[in-house]
Amino acid sequence: MTDCIVAGERLVLLPERAAWWPARRAIFVADFHLGKAASFRRAGIPLPGGTTADNIERLEAVIDRSGAGHLVFLGDFLHSAQGRAPATLERFRRWRAARAALSITLVRGNHDDRAGDPPEEWGIRCVNPGAAMAPFALVHEPAPVRGGYALAGHIHPAVRLSEPGGQSLRLPCFWFGARVGVLPSFGAFTGSAVVRPRAGDQVFVVADGEVIEKKGSDPFS
Amino acid sequence: MSDTIERWFAANGWRAFDFQREVWDAYRAGESGLIHSATGTGKTLAAFLGPVAEAIAEGAEKAAPLRLLWITPMRALAGDTAQSLERALAGTGLAWTVGLRTGDTAAAERARQARKLPSVLVTTPESLSLMLSQAEARDRLAALRAVIVDEWHELLGNKRGVQVELALARLRRWNPALRTWGLSATLGNLDEALERLLAGSPGRVVRGISDKPVVIDTLIPADVERFPWAGHLGLVMLPDVIQALDASRSSLVFTNTRSQAETWYQAILEARPDWAGLVALHHGSLDAEVRRWVEQGLKEGRLKAVVATSSLDLGVDFSPVERVLQIGSPKGVARLLQRAGRSGHAPGQVSRVTCVPSHALEFVEAAAARRAAQAGRIESRRPVERPLDLLAQHLVTIAVGEGFVAAELRAEVRSTRAFRDLDESEWRWAMDFVTRGGESLKAYPEYRRVEEVDGWHVVRDAALARRHRMSVGTIVSDASIDVRYLNGRRLGHVEESFIAWLSPGDAFVFAGHVLELIRVENMTALVRPAKPGAASVPRWQGGRSPLSSEVADSIRELLEAHLEGRAREPEMRAVARLLALQQRWSRIPRRHELLVEQCESREGHHIFCYPFEGRHVHVGLSALLAWRLSRTRAASFSMAFNDYGFELLSRERFELLPLLRAGLLSPANLLDDVLASLNAAELSKRQFREIARVAGLVFQGYPGQPKSAKQVQATSGLLYEVFARWDAGNPLLAQAEREVLERELEFSRLAAAVGRIASSPVVLRQTAKPTPFAFPLMVARLREKLTSEKLADRVRRMQLDFDRAAEEAADDGVQAELFP
Repeated sequence: MTDCIVAGERLVLLPERAAWWPARRAIFVADFHLGKAASFRRAGIPLPGGTTADNIERLEAVIDRSGAGHLVFLGDFLHSAQGRAPATLERFRRWRAARAALSITLVRGNHDDRAGDPPEEWGIRCVNPGAAMAPFALVHEPAPVRGGYALAGHIHPAVRLSEPGGQSLRLPCFWFGARVGVLPSFGAFTGSAVVRPRAGDQVFVVADGEVIEKKGSDPFS
Repeated sequence: MSDTIERWFAANGWRAFDFQREVWDAYRAGESGLIHSATGTGKTLAAFLGPVAEAIAEGAEKAAPLRLLWITPMRALAGDTAQSLERALAGTGLAWTVGLRTGDTAAAERARQARKLPSVLVTTPESLSLMLSQAEARDRLAALRAVIVDEWHELLGNKRGVQVELALARLRRWNPALRTWGLSATLGNLDEALERLLAGSPGRVVRGISDKPVVIDTLIPADVERFPWAGHLGLVMLPDVIQALDASRSSLVFTNTRSQAETWYQAILEARPDWAGLVALHHGSLDAEVRRWVEQGLKEGRLKAVVATSSLDLGVDFSPVERVLQIGSPKGVARLLQRAGRSGHAPGQVSRVTCVPSHALEFVEAAAARRAAQAGRIESRRPVERPLDLLAQHLVTIAVGEGFVAAELRAEVRSTRAFRDLDESEWRWAMDFVTRGGESLKAYPEYRRVEEVDGWHVVRDAALARRHRMSVGTIVSDASIDVRYLNGRRLGHVEESFIAWLSPGDAFVFAGHVLELIRVENMTALVRPAKPGAASVPRWQGGRSPLSSEVADSIRELLEAHLEGRAREPEMRAVARLLALQQRWSRIPRRHELLVEQCESREGHHIFCYPFEGRHVHVGLSALLAWRLSRTRAASFSMAFNDYGFELLSRERFELLPLLRAGLLSPANLLDDVLASLNAAELSKRQFREIARVAGLVFQGYPGQPKSAKQVQATSGLLYEVFARWDAGNPLLAQAEREVLERELEFSRLAAAVGRIASSPVVLRQTAKPTPFAFPLMVARLREKLTSEKLADRVRRMQLDFDRAAEEAADDGVQAELFP
């Protein structure tokens, strides 16, 4: 757990790759990609089971630990239409049913556009990108938004750290710039893309169950 | 032999070689076998005229459908092969037809073949597998009499060879009398090559003409004193190379990397602008059109010189080529001979390859390679054992085609040498993998690929079948990026990983031009000519092949011979001064010694170790040593390796003598220690790229694919992580580890080296400064850290220091002491 100040608000960055906003008792989660493994299987690509259970367990852990009243998915909650496998959906439905008091918002992302909204009875409020939660503007694809600090996902950011001896590690990260902040992808079966933050950006890497601020002007040499 | 063939030979003034007659007779008697010799010595006719004579004897008048399959490893060669087969048919008057079937074959030709197949089909392993994925494969291939596998040595050592084995097993089940002949360059393990090809059935190894003379020599510059001690471009030899090129009508200049080829091409043209249009460049990234033009120019004798990479190692004869130059290390005996064989095809000529060292120790390598070649110590190619990724692919291929009954296919697969030891659990796993999507205990209702209908395994989904056909094969390449000018003119393609490494505005050398990257969009790198004087970003190519065991051993032997004054090679005289310094400052190791040097510098404490076992083994050994050292005391190391040895650099000094006595390099726990030391998981993850692709976990995609295809694309690295975490017992992970051990680390070679070291004396020397052997390692380490410009400066300065020290040493009369 690591605190940081973004747009004047205190955010707590969690090693499960989610952000906790105590002031509004909200948890932000980007790129959940529910049903991704199932859509691979549907396409004849044999993937082991376990990723969905892992996603839900981590989600439960952050909600329980923080006592959040509001869960915000910053896009790409569902992976694809093919991924809406009955067993996978049923798993999430059961989890949702057990915590009906939690309010859930989904900012639609590019995957959600194709996969469709989650079933209505799950009680997830679906909004389009740009929805305000002042001082934040909730989006999926990172781009500055007029009148708010954009909280986004989509690019699954990571940074590469070099160790002496020539080995390098690629670690998912939280990346907060001047007007846009990007969360790491939450889903267990999601990749990452190495990003190049600018000077002045705040970067926090997730490593070994900890969130650590990446300091230094040139972490990429 | 049939009269018509005799007449054709006589009309051309040819005489059949004994080995050709031997093959023709054997073929007529129903035998199979393997023919080996250098290129351009009549192997093609040896293999082809047996089937031709048989057809003539049978009185075949019409173009019979598909009697002979001719498998070639490179589709670029298929056209030339087809032409030479057609010439033979025209000469003998047999009314057979010849067709091509490769990834390049146009749809119209495919459609024609669908109506009627040619009598002889020239194809690749991949296209053959694709034919097996057609429902009517059995009917269409049932009349086959023989399969010829060209350049079998190129396939033997990789999964493509196994792919051929699997296809042959199927063809033999359909026609047990099928004859198989392989054509191969000379190898260290010909018997094994034959056994693989014939799945253990009896056959004969036929040796082609063997007395074709091959000359291996080295360009030795006049001013050998100032020859660089490290580096890889070797441009210091440019004047000598120009002179050599000038003296021959047509030459091939081989390099070890693409960037080296680009650099040399530019340098030659700058030195001899009058050769513009007469000198050309040939490597795998150039547009196929350009490559064809170059090959044609060579054949017609229009080109003075072609600078090439391994892209010209194989294939058709370029008769006008008189001489071959090899820039940099020859690496292996077989490769050097293969390259030599590209020259001297005109009657009465010898094949000649001239080594052009790029740094001093490569003089020793060249002499060592020649010694090994003269002694007939040729490298082996180790075949691949039980690749389960390929098995999974093959199961789907057959299911997409006519389908299979599990027990029958299992017997067929196990009839190959590659899968002879496939056990029940591995077979079960592969079947579960393609039918259920994983272990049978878990149920994945959404999974579908191979389905079982009344005991018959098939793929019913047309989209899945189409996607599988597009993924058949085992060749994994980086996504390729087109390189184009802004006006759209295409220059060729490069790997995505190379472009990913550049930023807009960077200059790089490609296709003989210095280009500036403007931007990358839609898998295209847009470029323009770079401003004059732009510093280009050199490409340090990974995946360099290591020195072979044969050459490495020959180097150790040669150094010992030199010490004892028995090495009379001119190359050894050229490096006498450097070796004298090495001996004076430290030692030249004897054949069965291991030399270890320690010295201090501002950078820290250096350990240099010279097993002379090739780069891959040194990567493993250096990691092993560092790991074992750090267990005695916490320490971190920088490392560097080359084909001769490796360096460990640390802050702290280690007292090596007691540690060596206590088993620092002992073979005990070798595998576990190596795996622990190398971050094996990270290496396996990289290896998983190929496995994921072959097993069908990753689909490379195709132009115009629907968006939805993107939703089932994941990187092999991500897949590796998912499997490692949620299906750790998956045999594909174990396969990745095995492949890393054998391919990246050459573990069996490493184990043999450690065994050798354990039974031989280790000589430990404390030196005042890094020795000539150490110098290339220090440069290699710096190269990782610095930009090229700074590196060049530093290397120059280091060499100056060395030269100064060497002069002082020479004044001491070192030379006299060692070489009275």
